[in-house]
Amino acid sequence: MIKKFMSVMLSSLMLMTVFTAGCSKQPNTPAPAATAEKVHITFFTGKVETVDLMNQLIQKFNTENPNIVVEQEYQKDASNVMKVKFASGDVPDITTVVSQDYIDQGKYVDLSNEPFWSRNLDSIKALCTDVKSGKQYKVATNVTMAGIFYNKKIFADLNLKEALTWKDFVANLQVVKEKKPDVTPMFIAGKESWTLGHMIEFLAHGVIKQKLGVNASRLAFINNDSDKLAFDAPGGCMDTFAARILELKNGGLINKDAMTATYDNQKQDFAAGKVAVISQGMWVLGDLLKLNPNMKDDIGFSPFPSIIDGTKPVVLSAEDSVYAITAESKHQQEAKKFLEFLLKPENLKTYSEITKSPSAFKDVDADWGPLKDQATKALANAVNIPFTDTPAGFSGDDAGRMVQDLLVGKYKTTLDFAKAYKTTWDKAWKATHN
Amino acid sequence: MRRLVVILKYAVVTLVSLISIFPFYVLFYLALSSPAQAISKKFVLLPDFYFQNFAEAWNVSKIGGAMLNSLIITGFALFFVVVIGSSAGYSIARFSGKFNSVVFNILLVSMMIPAIIITVPLYTLMRSIHGINTHWAMILLMTTNAMPLSVFLYTSFIKMLPREVEEAAIMDGCTYFSAFWRVTFPVLRPVTAAVVILSGLSIWNNYAQALFFLQKSEMHTIPLAVSMFFQRYGAQWNVMAAAAVIGLSPAVVAFLVFQKQFIKGIMAGAVKG
Amino acid sequence: MALFRTINNHLHKYMAVPAIILFAVFFIYPLTQGVGVSLTDSNGMTVPHFIGLKNFADFFQDERAKQDVWNTVLFALGSAPLLNLLGFLYALVLDRHFKGKALVRAVVYMPAVISPLIMGYIWYFILQPERGFLFRILQPLHVGFANSDWLGGRSSALIVLIVVNVWQYVGMTMIIYLAGLQSIPPELYEASKIDGAGYFSTLRYVTIPMLYPSIKINVVTNIIGSLSVFDIIIALTDGGPGYSTESLSIYIMRELYGSFTGYSTAVAIILFILIIIPVVAYLRFMKRREFEM
Repeated sequence: MIKKFMSVMLSSLMLMTVFTAGCSKQPNTPAPAATAEKVHITFFTGKVETVDLMNQLIQKFNTENPNIVVEQEYQKDASNVMKVKFASGDVPDITTVVSQDYIDQGKYVDLSNEPFWSRNLDSIKALCTDVKSGKQYKVATNVTMAGIFYNKKIFADLNLKEALTWKDFVANLQVVKEKKPDVTPMFIAGKESWTLGHMIEFLAHGVIKQKLGVNASRLAFINNDSDKLAFDAPGGCMDTFAARILELKNGGLINKDAMTATYDNQKQDFAAGKVAVISQGMWVLGDLLKLNPNMKDDIGFSPFPSIIDGTKPVVLSAEDSVYAITAESKHQQEAKKFLEFLLKPENLKTYSEITKSPSAFKDVDADWGPLKDQATKALANAVNIPFTDTPAGFSGDDAGRMVQDLLVGKYKTTLDFAKAYKTTWDKAWKATHN
Repeated sequence: MRRLVVILKYAVVTLVSLISIFPFYVLFYLALSSPAQAISKKFVLLPDFYFQNFAEAWNVSKIGGAMLNSLIITGFALFFVVVIGSSAGYSIARFSGKFNSVVFNILLVSMMIPAIIITVPLYTLMRSIHGINTHWAMILLMTTNAMPLSVFLYTSFIKMLPREVEEAAIMDGCTYFSAFWRVTFPVLRPVTAAVVILSGLSIWNNYAQALFFLQKSEMHTIPLAVSMFFQRYGAQWNVMAAAAVIGLSPAVVAFLVFQKQFIKGIMAGAVKG
Repeated sequence: MALFRTINNHLHKYMAVPAIILFAVFFIYPLTQGVGVSLTDSNGMTVPHFIGLKNFADFFQDERAKQDVWNTVLFALGSAPLLNLLGFLYALVLDRHFKGKALVRAVVYMPAVISPLIMGYIWYFILQPERGFLFRILQPLHVGFANSDWLGGRSSALIVLIVVNVWQYVGMTMIIYLAGLQSIPPELYEASKIDGAGYFSTLRYVTIPMLYPSIKINVVTNIIGSLSVFDIIIALTDGGPGYSTESLSIYIMRELYGSFTGYSTAVAIILFILIIIPVVAYLRFMKRREFEM
């Protein structure tokens, strides 16, 4: 009787040990000094569109460096998961997730004295420089742009020109609505709040950024300089933005299902020629061409129209694909080696061509896509603005959700929206600056 | 009149069944649609029987590996849940005392505490015992989650069992402890079935905690694998549906097989409140 | 050997120990830490300071938080009664013997077997305007509402969520009621027939009182479940549009992610209190009723 019980316990214990021995995986075990041991480093990313490409490059690196094993970890909510990782000490070695708050806390290795900067475009290097310390904690391999993508065929059919003022922009959409009822004038992927958050960063914040210039505006956002930002000012950028976007909705100039349409829906419809205009970044190009390779001559790119009369059109020209090495990493040398590998001209070229975005390195000549000339023209004709440095607790996603609320009528006036925006921004900023 | 009632009843039952089955129909329809049919706007009753979706979903989402992880974690966790839960239930039901009633009340109240409160401290704890990305830590955690309900069900059921069942074994010289395993436990089959199904389902479908504690893709369980797949495959509904079908089939099959036992177990354990 | 004997003789009193040890490590310990954190301004980055009940005070002044409480309560008020009513009705219908009863039972319960996350995605696909399945079916009928944006309006989204939630879990409620119904001794029905009671009187005075344990379980489970709703909302509306369907659990998760660790734990505690109040009130109410019986 006792024996039976004991044998049951013993066998289950044995099974347990078999499994714990076989299945435990312990991250960040400190690598022993022995040279024969493999060093494992983790590359943590939030960019879904490059997962396969990075795996390719990682395999190449792992083969060339047999004593280093790089593992990619992708998380959709990477910037949020990063918080948990930092809080619990489970830190990746190299990552694409960089934010001002983490820089302030010394979470990254100072890369300012690395040799590769001489090959990097000055404007991009400037954007990767921490405005507070003047040092570089991240390096960008590509340049991204964002603006208005439009269907050239539709524009040609209706004799429309690229719109640089809001008045012209709305007029264009109006013509599309009247003359081509089967075509959506402007398609907004409202279910995915990040697209709405981007619209704020480009159209609304664009006003601030062009007024102050790149560096001064970055400082203003980072230090929450309310005088310069003036989010809640009547007639200011947030108030006007709210009015403009409601204008589009109430005028029937956007897709009826704007609130539940996804990014994929936006790409599908645009590639199928059913949409005249979308607000997006150059990152969408690869997917559009995958959906409809014949479209490459019909995609037009122009700057964002100015939302406040008298201001200039803007186009986003910012760093893309940034990498930083974490200060708490136990394998900084190996991480640096991997970084240098990624920055080799031939790998940069592959990356550029597959992601269809221009390289930020001078010695890379990539044929990155059919919009090369249009992009250059847009950059020349409009004020170049960067992304916004939002506070850690108030991301583009959160801002986008406020826009959703705006579109379903939660705010009585556009000024209420502007005020709510400022309150939320301030609250988030204060939380990490106490 | 009688006939009318009968017809009416059958009509209602059919309606109810159709309503419940509708989303499954949509799911299978999508899983068997060709890419064109997935985005078409026409309603056609039967799908194209495009089986490639399954092959593609299986390969890309690495759902085979995820299924293995889910099976290991759920299987072992259920073993512990049954063993530890039933023994706790036995003790609490038969031998009332301060200790036992405190344990019971703690477990009961905990069912009302939203698990999200403990997320961050739990993460730190898991990290300090090197439990992240391991099977064993996940198994222990899942067992803990299922503890309150299983102890509750076992306690209720055992309370209803006459003590004579064990008394006979005691007369033969067993201790209460061994009497439980020899005599009582086999009788608990219905409750065990209920516990296995209810806890098993919630462990199998666990997403929130798996997301935190099984970060490496080779450790992913099915909900994680399916969710990752959804994130990367955007609007290719036909392939996503196929992945979802693969992911939920073990749960559905298990339920269908153990249905009868499960109902009996619920009746036994839950009726007495 | 004698020692072993002694231990074995008393073992039965401590059989609940493994359970409580496991529970203490993986639940109680983190819980106490969590409660501690809620009294600080911890944010995962800067050094935390003790701020007493300030997090709780902030909660009551935050617009979004108040909206979320409202959303969560509305959702529960819509779901819980419907789940109970429909579950009970279904159980009544399925209580008799008829062909295929087991099949119908399985079919109605099946949705509860599926992960709510996956369910949410399916329903999203069904309900999308222009491209969704429902649109495909309704379009040939040329009804005005065929192309409605079901999930795009603040109140319609919430209603849809309630409907989907009830659809998914009505089987669970039904099974418990079925079990309860089947445990009612038939003599009681015979007695009431002899007394000349009609269908509805029997229902009211015999069936339902005998079902009190089942009702208790269902109501409590439904209250807890609907107040802590998470997966299904994320999958269907992501809390949107805006924050109009964001539940408290989702708010807590987002705040946790957004570097407000101390604050989010405080909100979790508030959620717990929000859950406990109706549950305790309901159980007290039922106790009194049972007493009167």
